[in-house]
Amino acid sequence: MFFKKIDERIKVLFLIMLLLFVFIILRVFYIQIVDYKKLNQYASNLWSRDLPIEANRGLILDRNGVVLADNLTTTSLVLIPNQIKNKEETTKRLAEILNVSYDEMKKHVYKKTSIERVHPEGRRLPYDIAEKISALEMDGVYLVKEAKRYYPYGNMLSHTLGYVGIDNQGLSGLELQYDKYLTGKSGAIKYFSDAKGNQLNLSDLYVEPQSGMNLTLTIDINIQKAIERELNNIVDMFSPDMALALVMDPNTGEILGMGSRPDYNPNTYQDYSQEVLSRNLPIWSSYEPGSTFKIITMSTAVEEKVVDLEKDHFYDSGSVNVEGSVLKCWKAGGHGEQTFLQVLQNSCNPGFVKLGQMLGKETLFDYINKFGFGSKTGVDLNGEGEGIIFNLDKVGNVELSTTAFGQGVSVTPIQQVTAVSAVVNGGNLYEPYVVKSISENETNTLLKENKKKLVRKVISKETSDIMKHALESVVAKGGGKAAYIEGYRIGGKTGTAQKVKDGKYLVGNYIMSFMAVVPSNDPKAVLYLAIDNPKNTALLSSYTTTPIARRLLLDIIDALDIPKQSGGLEKDLEWTDKIMYQVPNVVGKTVKEAKKKLTNFTVEYTGTGNRVVSQSPAAGEKLEEKGVVRLLIE
Amino acid sequence: MKKKMDKLLFVTVVLLSLFGLIMIYSASSIWADYKFGDSFHYFKYQAIFICLGFLVLFITSKIPYQKYYEKANQILFLCFILLVLVLIPGIGSIRNGSRSWFGIGPLGIQPSEAAKLGLIIFTSKYLSNSNKFLKSYKKGVFPILGITILFFGLIMLQPDLGTGLILVVSIISLLFVAGVNMKFFLGMGLLGFVGVVILILIAPYRMDRITSFIDPWSDALGTGFQIIQSLYAIGPGGLLGTGFLHSIQKHFYLPEPQTDFIFSIIAEEFGVVGAFIVVGLFSMLLFRGIKIATHTKDSFSKYLSFGMVFQIIFQTLMNLMVVIGMIPVTGVTLPFLSYGGSSLLISMVSIGILLNISKS
Repeated sequence: MFFKKIDERIKVLFLIMLLLFVFIILRVFYIQIVDYKKLNQYASNLWSRDLPIEANRGLILDRNGVVLADNLTTTSLVLIPNQIKNKEETTKRLAEILNVSYDEMKKHVYKKTSIERVHPEGRRLPYDIAEKISALEMDGVYLVKEAKRYYPYGNMLSHTLGYVGIDNQGLSGLELQYDKYLTGKSGAIKYFSDAKGNQLNLSDLYVEPQSGMNLTLTIDINIQKAIERELNNIVDMFSPDMALALVMDPNTGEILGMGSRPDYNPNTYQDYSQEVLSRNLPIWSSYEPGSTFKIITMSTAVEEKVVDLEKDHFYDSGSVNVEGSVLKCWKAGGHGEQTFLQVLQNSCNPGFVKLGQMLGKETLFDYINKFGFGSKTGVDLNGEGEGIIFNLDKVGNVELSTTAFGQGVSVTPIQQVTAVSAVVNGGNLYEPYVVKSISENETNTLLKENKKKLVRKVISKETSDIMKHALESVVAKGGGKAAYIEGYRIGGKTGTAQKVKDGKYLVGNYIMSFMAVVPSNDPKAVLYLAIDNPKNTALLSSYTTTPIARRLLLDIIDALDIPKQSGGLEKDLEWTDKIMYQVPNVVGKTVKEAKKKLTNFTVEYTGTGNRVVSQSPAAGEKLEEKGVVRLLIE
Repeated sequence: MKKKMDKLLFVTVVLLSLFGLIMIYSASSIWADYKFGDSFHYFKYQAIFICLGFLVLFITSKIPYQKYYEKANQILFLCFILLVLVLIPGIGSIRNGSRSWFGIGPLGIQPSEAAKLGLIIFTSKYLSNSNKFLKSYKKGVFPILGITILFFGLIMLQPDLGTGLILVVSIISLLFVAGVNMKFFLGMGLLGFVGVVILILIAPYRMDRITSFIDPWSDALGTGFQIIQSLYAIGPGGLLGTGFLHSIQKHFYLPEPQTDFIFSIIAEEFGVVGAFIVVGLFSMLLFRGIKIATHTKDSFSKYLSFGMVFQIIFQTLMNLMVVIGMIPVTGVTLPFLSYGGSSLLISMVSIGILLNISKS
């Protein structure tokens, strides 16, 4: 009876203890299943030591795949002191190879740390030194890869590309904006070690570094090279305050090339002032456009059908009085009687005042807004400017008049190029962009591809066609003659804007610009070139920017492989121009007949005989007077 | 009447000891090689202890348990003398911060281990003589409690909280089994709580142990260190374990893995299977021990067998719960499995006595 009570109590304790055993098993289960992931992660961090392998930064490529931002691979020395068996020997050999003192090396070899980067002596080692170290085959001595950003073309496209800091992090430009794509993921050799740092006999893990994504730009390197070359020429010839050029594909909004001066070399960006580094002029600078803005006014007038360019006439007396303000034409005495097409060709200010007044402020400013002025274009680059457009409430007749010929408004180059692209491409305003695609490095699979993005339709195709013709006529017959290229149809418009400082126009300080379209019948590129305050030159854009624009256009024609067009307007001749003649077909003719037909040219023969079998240049080509025509005769 | 010895209990103990021996090799080989240049160092000693252990097991299983009843007072007195002696510098030596050892060459003997058994024997005798007094605290409970607290105090002077706790709790469990009023245990619980508070006030590091058990990562390199290292062994082992000899944590991460934290290494190398083997064997030991206790016909052997089984199992539970982070670190070994001579020998003696009781 008494024992029974004791046994009961014994059994109670027995059950409690048994329950605790069950509890313990469940807890072990819990740790090994639920906590497994977390504990395993923590524990492998504890057990493993990482030898870092730096990943390559993604490349930046032009549209043809030419590398604009590359990586240099270097090797660096890393030590794992705990694994070094013979410390004295290792110190001695490494000191010899790296040419440092024994004591200096000793600091690294004997350091109580899991991984020691030998800095700076062991970083970015030359190849032969790295070879020597690797030949030592010593325990605990490792060579790891380090990548360094390198811009093979130096200053080229520097503002757009940007630059990276000491740890390959993007600091500016596309490098900064697309940093998370361009940055790769570091890899590592993970080896397991005991708590004292000795390597455990477990296989090492190689975690492959992942290169960053590649950025393919819309930039064409040949056009870009031409831009850089001409900007350098401009700096040499005119020592301007600033200069810039921008080329866009008007059918998509793709930027084909852009550059500005002053510029910098991203490989040594530390040597430049913050002002130079940060100002990407084609998208940042904002100034009075001057006459290039007349393209916008005229497009509006044609679209609104307030004027017929060929039939309506305007008489320019040399100035126009708007509510007491006398607005002068640039040509003293005026242009006299003209059609409105000639008003554009002559860049006649009073003519545009007339157009502005015919449109009225609501209509003109509505179109200015629709063409994208006064707001950012949305180009995929940092640091874009907005420009300043009059607030409609404050626009009186004077403001309306000056705006019509491009004064009193402030716009950015990219706004102008985007707007003119819309004028010539059939009326579609596209969002400009410079990044064509982002792709994976190894597989080359596209991660993201930028396509043309229509902002809005601004003018009709008919208006666009009229404007293309009008711009071509400016080059053939008006102020843009110096840009004329034989056999190609070029459209264009010059601009000369006085600079404003503290509300006053500066004397003798101009921004000279040229806007060009090539070819004007089927536009493939819109070029804008501006030179801020050129020295040693005539104060007219026609003589300063236009010849340079012509050279750029030739390179663009070459780069885009634009075929010759027929049906273009003939250029009005100036006394400096050489007279061009079309070469007639003389193949099959006798030598005598051929000579007769080729009186304008110098004729050279090869072969013997009396009949022409081939000729160079071919029939239909244009050649200057006394140019050489070669004939093969039999 | 003559019964047969409990063979299942014996087999369980053999299995536990051998599994312990193997795991001591696996857990200690790296540390032993580093410290002694002999990866079998701990294995060899443990093998010797096991042989000695089975020798004393056979001897004690032949000694009629009634002898302990007769000699209970002398045994207790001897334990008392040893506990006092070990505190004297020059006689007792310090290991891991506690003066708990008589050092003999490389070996050490812990008198507190013997005291645990000695006190169980004495209490069993006391209870079997004074069942009728237990209703009276003054005459029944307080004297035996006084002796227990005296022993606890001596052990705490070393100090060795783990062993002290085991000693106190096993005596209280005996009082509970003997039928002391429930109210008494309520009072004891309160007293225990006050005691813990006082102990923490005396040595604030004990509070750290408690907080570190709640969130070991709050002081990962200090008080939480052992629990974290233990969890880093058990967790990554996973259900299947890393395989025999393939523990990573024994590579100096878990300090002296062959002693208190051997269960971590078992769970790391054999996963949940290893945990099942250990817990299963101890459950079997518990089951057989309780069976012996409930089948005895005299109260002394009933108290004695229960007390010894309880003590072994309670120590096992305390060790396992520390290792898996359920209670604060107390520093007790895992019976039969952890490396250590004194603890193993006393456990073997207990089993020997149990086996002898099972025969009668």
